[in-house]
Amino acid sequence: MAAVLMSVMSCTEMDLPPKNTVTDDDLLSNQAGMSIYMATLYSKMPWEDFKYMAQWGINWNGWLASLGIEGTGEALDRDGVCTSFTGEDTPYWSRAFELLRNANHLIAALPAYSGNYPEVTYNEFLGQAYFVRAYVFYKMACRFGGVPLVTTEIDYPGEESKIDLPRASERETWEQVLADFDQAAELLPVNPTFEGTANKYAALAFKAEAMLYAGSVAKYNETVSGRLTGIGEKTGVRVIGFAEDEWQDCSKKWFSEAYKAAREVMKSGKYSLYKKSWAKGDREAQYKNMVAMWKDLTSPENILVKRYEYPTVTHGLDAYCSPFIFRAPLCSGSCPTLDFIELFDGFDRYDDGYTIRVTDGNSNATGNYLLYDSPMDFFANAEPRLRAYVIFPGDVFKKREIEIRAGVYTGSAPIKPLLSDYSYSGANTKYQHLDIYTGSNGAAKKLYLSPNSGTNQEIVKIDGKSMNAAGENGPFYSNGEGNLTGLYLRKYLDEDLAVENIGEGKSDQPFILMRYADVLLAAAESAVELSLAGVSSPVEGDNMLEVATTAINDIRERAGATLLSGSLTASNESRDVVRKERRKELAFEHKTKWDLRRWRVLDENNRDGFWGEKRDSKEFSSGTQFRFKGLYPFYSSETGKYFFDESYQWVSMKTFGYNVVDYYFSIPSGEVSKSKYIDQQPNR
Amino acid sequence: MIMKRIFTYIPVLAAAVIAASSCSLFQLDNAESPKETIKGKVVDVETGDPVLTDQGSEGIRVRLTELSYGENATHNPDFYCRPDGTFQNTKIFKGNYNIRIDGPFIPIVRETSDGVPISDGSIVTDIKGTTEVEFKVHPFLKVEIVGEPQVSGGVITAQVKVTRAVSKETFKELVEPMGGYSDDFTNVTDIQLFVGYSSTMGYRARDTRWSTALEFGGDSFEAKLGEPVTIQSSTSTTIPSGRKVFIRAAARINYDTPRGSGTRRYNYSEVMEVNIP
Repeated sequence: MAAVLMSVMSCTEMDLPPKNTVTDDDLLSNQAGMSIYMATLYSKMPWEDFKYMAQWGINWNGWLASLGIEGTGEALDRDGVCTSFTGEDTPYWSRAFELLRNANHLIAALPAYSGNYPEVTYNEFLGQAYFVRAYVFYKMACRFGGVPLVTTEIDYPGEESKIDLPRASERETWEQVLADFDQAAELLPVNPTFEGTANKYAALAFKAEAMLYAGSVAKYNETVSGRLTGIGEKTGVRVIGFAEDEWQDCSKKWFSEAYKAAREVMKSGKYSLYKKSWAKGDREAQYKNMVAMWKDLTSPENILVKRYEYPTVTHGLDAYCSPFIFRAPLCSGSCPTLDFIELFDGFDRYDDGYTIRVTDGNSNATGNYLLYDSPMDFFANAEPRLRAYVIFPGDVFKKREIEIRAGVYTGSAPIKPLLSDYSYSGANTKYQHLDIYTGSNGAAKKLYLSPNSGTNQEIVKIDGKSMNAAGENGPFYSNGEGNLTGLYLRKYLDEDLAVENIGEGKSDQPFILMRYADVLLAAAESAVELSLAGVSSPVEGDNMLEVATTAINDIRERAGATLLSGSLTASNESRDVVRKERRKELAFEHKTKWDLRRWRVLDENNRDGFWGEKRDSKEFSSGTQFRFKGLYPFYSSETGKYFFDESYQWVSMKTFGYNVVDYYFSIPSGEVSKSKYIDQQPNR
Repeated sequence: MIMKRIFTYIPVLAAAVIAASSCSLFQLDNAESPKETIKGKVVDVETGDPVLTDQGSEGIRVRLTELSYGENATHNPDFYCRPDGTFQNTKIFKGNYNIRIDGPFIPIVRETSDGVPISDGSIVTDIKGTTEVEFKVHPFLKVEIVGEPQVSGGVITAQVKVTRAVSKETFKELVEPMGGYSDDFTNVTDIQLFVGYSSTMGYRARDTRWSTALEFGGDSFEAKLGEPVTIQSSTSTTIPSGRKVFIRAAARINYDTPRGSGTRRYNYSEVMEVNIP
């Protein structure tokens, strides 16, 4: 019966391409087809933008989109997604191989169509494949160290020995990254055919970023307790870290490559720092310039941009991270920390050199609070760049004053610090536990706080008038949707988006994946690292430290920050100057978490370097764990002035943790158990 | 008629297809649940004393690998020793296992930096019914609280004595062949006083408000080995009076286990109960 049916259906010619299948001929032979192929490649890229959350990994999920909340100290959030970057729910593994296959297929199949394109276009399309492959290997190496180097399209199903590949060593993996970026930069033109794809300089800029990562891990693995390296159990391959006799050469080589790539971008003259509305000496103009630059698609600073377009391709940053008064349906997803703003210029400090002064004593736990007529007076001299990145209490956003007030203090002045213990170990005692708030132990009530917004606001009667204890945006000690730290994110929020248009999937500001400032910082960091290692300039005629000094000063000038007093030197102090500048400039861009990782400053023993500058890690951590602080404005009704208290995250307090093993993510265990060759991390 | 025949065949075919593919759908999972038990203890090879630890990933890790899967076997989920240096897991499938432990003692599995085996003290055994194993190891340090802790104004003062449980010479002899050796490995880096309400006091259970540490740079602790060292709980946040707390002292050397994990594990004293008047 079946045979009869079969014979009836198969009497016609079968050897025809099926009409409902897209073939190489359709896609690769013409530019319209190539645009589809490119769209496929780029839509699968492991970009980290508004559709990326560190906790979830690469699954293009923009739910709760926040910036800087993965234990980097940039910002805090109330939710579980605010946690250390020690792994991803969706490990970047199978999706990486899928994209590698797409890239490898293009490399293998395109030569058959070379005659269909002008040479420069043919090279460009090939270059895109190398760029994609380089970026995927790079992002895998950051996560796992050595990975299987799939550089050809594997026939599947096929022989087991050909489809099951072992992890290469970490060294080989970075060499592959380097080779593919070089190949891409060689092939890609200055002006790509399709908008949103990489050009030559994007390849070079990402190469600089990748080589900075490689050079750093080769060097700073050595600073980790027990030398961070190991041999795979199944293969004997050094899948993480470097041998004692190779790390120095690797580090020097890769820092040199980073420097060369960054310098080539700089020397091209094609890009510059965004200064369209910048004016020398005008702090207001400098601040506004740095607010405008994120949305301006004509910015000369942009090297590669991920565009969004309402209503088809959108994200929800404004819905998740706007201040509480604009919640739609959520808010307050990225609240910058006190520790973070301490990196910036324009505040009085205590003797440790970094803690911002809030009292007239020797530390924030002693003396009397300094009083300000309005909260904004506290920030009168703040670096313009900081004001562009962070909304201060009382500053204006979307034409509304952003009222942030922790509470009202009705006692007389001078006022002593509210808490009795400001150390890490005292972090669990909060304002609402104080006797002057609860009125217990016979204390008179002097402190007013609000557990929540609206009718849950505690009302204070001052001279016959009523005042809400907390600000309109909080903080509310029982509601993590209010403000958490006394500060709000401004960077990347769309100030022009009308309040009624804030919503999930209703934002379309672009995300800048690579910009010129990043290139300048890569040049500066590799220059100082090379100088420290005693390597002469890989670019002829360059005085590396001069290049680095100029790069830092250019960024600082645009930011309205204080310029360097002298030239950078071959020293760890100068290296830290560059690191700190990088942490400031590139904050909230999904870059800092990788920087902290490659500097190997997250674990207990190296955490003094966590802030880019040296800070005693005891001040913010205990053992493997660490926490961040807020800057809480209080109103003093007796004086009619404001004071600020610095303490550990008051609302929804997060405790972060990091161990040495987390510098390399674990390989998905299913991949290890189903393969003869894939090694788990040897230190796990 | 041929049409009629087709129509009679189809339901039969469909039934056959369903029958062939769905037989497992209606069956109960009647595989036996794991019910074998492994019990073990970790003792000092020289004194026979248990190696005290903390239950958590900073303590002694027990790793079981079922070997019948062949070379490619992935280990079972790790579990950890109890504070008294014993371990037990009552939900193990019957089988042949490799058991390996890592903790504050000289690694029992040692290999060179190129992966060449030097010594393998892991145990291979069938686990069936209740299987008991014992690991004899060289703990790094012996930590004791000497005498009765004193309490004054909510602050506990204790005398802690730290001695080497394995000599520097033996340590070097066993660890040096693993490569990258440094004489700094044996330096005592810190002494901890863990304080809190839990009777299973340790790194995990400590109350960070009261727990404190003494740190020692380089080999500066060398002279204090074997001497009682005074350590106080936090003086900035005192322990409320009328409470009962538990304390435990711990110390560690500048050597991580397993190598490359970066986790430097503590050797512990016994737990002590302290009443705060």
